[in-house]
Order: sequence, then C-alpha cells, then structure tokens
Amino acid sequence: MHRALLAGCLILCAASAVPSIAAAPPTLLGKEAPDFVLKAMDGSNLRMSEFRGQVVLVNFWARWAGDSRQEMPALDRINTTYERAGLVVLGVSVDEDLVHAREFAGAMKVSYPIMFDTGSDIGREYLLQKMPMTILVDRAGVVRYTNVGFKRGDERAYLDHIRELLRE
Amino acid sequence: MNSKYRVVSIIVRGALLACAWGAVAVSSPAGAAPAATAAAATTPATATAAAAAPAAATPATATPTSAAPPPAAATAAGTAPAAAPPADFETLDQEVQGLKKDVIDLNKDLFVLEEELLFPANTQVALYVSMDVGAFFALDSVTIKIDNKEVKNYLYTAREADALLKGGVQQIYLGNLKVGKHELVAFFTGKGPQERDYKRGATITFDKGVGAKYLELKITDRVAKHQPEFLIKDWE
Repeated sequence: MHRALLAGCLILCAASAVPSIAAAPPTLLGKEAPDFVLKAMDGSNLRMSEFRGQVVLVNFWARWAGDSRQEMPALDRINTTYERAGLVVLGVSVDEDLVHAREFAGAMKVSYPIMFDTGSDIGREYLLQKMPMTILVDRAGVVRYTNVGFKRGDERAYLDHIRELLRE
Repeated sequence: MNSKYRVVSIIVRGALLACAWGAVAVSSPAGAAPAATAAAATTPATATAAAAAPAAATPATATPTSAAPPPAAATAAGTAPAAAPPADFETLDQEVQGLKKDVIDLNKDLFVLEEELLFPANTQVALYVSMDVGAFFALDSVTIKIDNKEVKNYLYTAREADALLKGGVQQIYLGNLKVGKHELVAFFTGKGPQERDYKRGATITFDKGVGAKYLELKITDRVAKHQPEFLIKDWE
C-alpha cells in the first residue's frame, strides 16, 4: 500500500516537472558558439572558429526583415570604432535568394564581411527564431549575449556588452 | 572482446573519477576554515579553465589545465602575502591537478574508442587532402562523392589552404564502406592560372577489402603545362 502511494507521488512529481522543463526555451548563452564556414561577399571563405581570441559579433539578417536595414548601419558604425580594439563583426545572410541578398548587401555598403548561408544547418545550430538576430561571442568562443530583432537603442546594449568583453 | 574490456575499464575509471571529484568537493569546504580565502582564490583559475575547455581538441584542453595554477597562486599570494598556503590545501590542489590529468587521459581514450566503434577497421575509409607547390592553383573547396552520393563538401579558408601549402595533410572524410568495388569522384574548385575560376574532377575506382582504406587527394603542379594536376592515390 505504502509502495503504491510512493509510486503515485513519484509519478505526480515527474509529471509536474515535465512542463517546467519543456517550457524553458533553448538558449546558446554560456555555450560554445557553433562553428561554421561560409563564403563571403569578396569570394573568400571565413570560418567562425578562426576568430577565436577576438570578440565576435555575428549578425544574422535577411532582406525581408525590415529591422535589418536599421541594424546594419548601426553595426557598421560599431565595427569602424571597435575594429582596432579587437572586435570582429560578421554579417550572415539567411536569404535563400542569393542574387537578391548580394544586391541588398552591396547596397548597404557596410565595411564588415557579409557571408551568405543558403542552407538551414547554421540557422538550426544558432537557434534562429526571428530576423535579425545578433549574438556576441567572447574571446574563448562562448556565446555571451543574444538579441532577437532590433529596435532603436539596442546598439547601446551592444556597446555595453562589447566594451565589457573587450576588457576581459 | 578487447573493446568490451576497454569500455568496461573506461566506465570504471569514469566512475572512480566522479567519486574522487565528489570527495574533493566534500573535503574542500570542510578542509579547514583558514583555507577559505585560498579556496576562493582557486575559483577564478578553475573558472578560466572551464571556460576555455570547450576550445576544441585535446591540446586546447590541455593548455588551460597546465596554465591554471599560476593565476590561482598569484591571487592566493595577493590575498595572504605573508602566510604560506596550508599544507592541506596544497595536497588538495595537487589532487585536483591529478584529477584534471586523469580526465584528459580518459577523454583521449574515449576519443580513440569512439573512433574504433564508429569506424571499425574492416569498413573504415579515410580520405586525406594534400597540396604540393600550388603555384597554379589556389584551393577554394573540395566536394567528394562516393558511389554517386555526396559525402563531403569542404570550404577552405585562406589559413587552411596556406597550411596545406606548407605541407599539412588534412583528413577530409572518415566513413564506412562495404567490402567491394566503389567509385570516388572529387571535385576541386579554386583559382587556376591567371586567376581564372577553375574546377576539375578526379575519379578513382577502388576495391574495399577487409582492412581500412586510405586514399589521398593530391594537388600538384604540372610545370611543363603550367597547369595544376589532381590525383587520387590509393594507400595500400
């Protein structure tokens, strides 16, 4: 009788624990940034892990995401200011239409490298939900900050985190 | 039988290590009250090692481990310059270092075992890429098809291509194949003579026997024709 009661309690506890585990959204924070290699706008191939030792800002963008148009110039300003301090800014287009993505990237005239991902593996590994998405990776290759979407003022948060990571 | 024994040995060693870690964790707070500042001092070192640990392969993992003690010692010296750390704490620190070494050894054994289990010698096929001179070809990517199925597409960064030019040999693919005849096609893309886009293929039909198969994709310069040459060498 006692055993049956105990078993019932355990099952109830387990059942109540399951939704709370399932509700926690998966995050990359504190985890090693997944490695990838992509072709950049200038024809060179860039590998994420080769920037180990530098602070890396990866911006996933898409032509159809309106916020990308606002974010890219802001990231360009950050890149020109902090490039010499050891910051690397990488733009990754997730557009399936490579021709139009290239046109868009050319029109934005940003100084940092833009890469093109037409597959879905990188997006899955980086848990992309909404475009644009920006992540900051520290010198050890660990994801330290993520931001989904972009609104005015977000660049200030980026700067705070970048300065903190550059000081480490 | 041998691999079974190794699996059991690795599991036992892992369990022993876990117990040892547990014992260290328990003994550290109870170790002695005066050691509290010194114990706090070790934390940043351990954290640094842990943060740097995911940095890929064994050498990277080995570096933070060996580099861990100096900052800890420095901080400890900073907090208590006059008094030497207690003997108990020194023993504990040595124990932790020993355990870290054991973890690295165990990790190495697991890696070897994993490779043996996933790619047993009787079905294993390993492909390597090498480059000689490279005056007529700048490598951009290699695509490999085995029996008409794409098994690998690899993009080379400037650093990786440079490493190949300096004599590096890259294992580009490791997989399993049944015994019998197979066809391998490799496509090399890059910049050829006069900076022109260049794409060439090389094909080999090989017999997979009961032992492991090693094939080398070689890029060399054919000086007489001012052209690159792509070969597939079967290592018997």
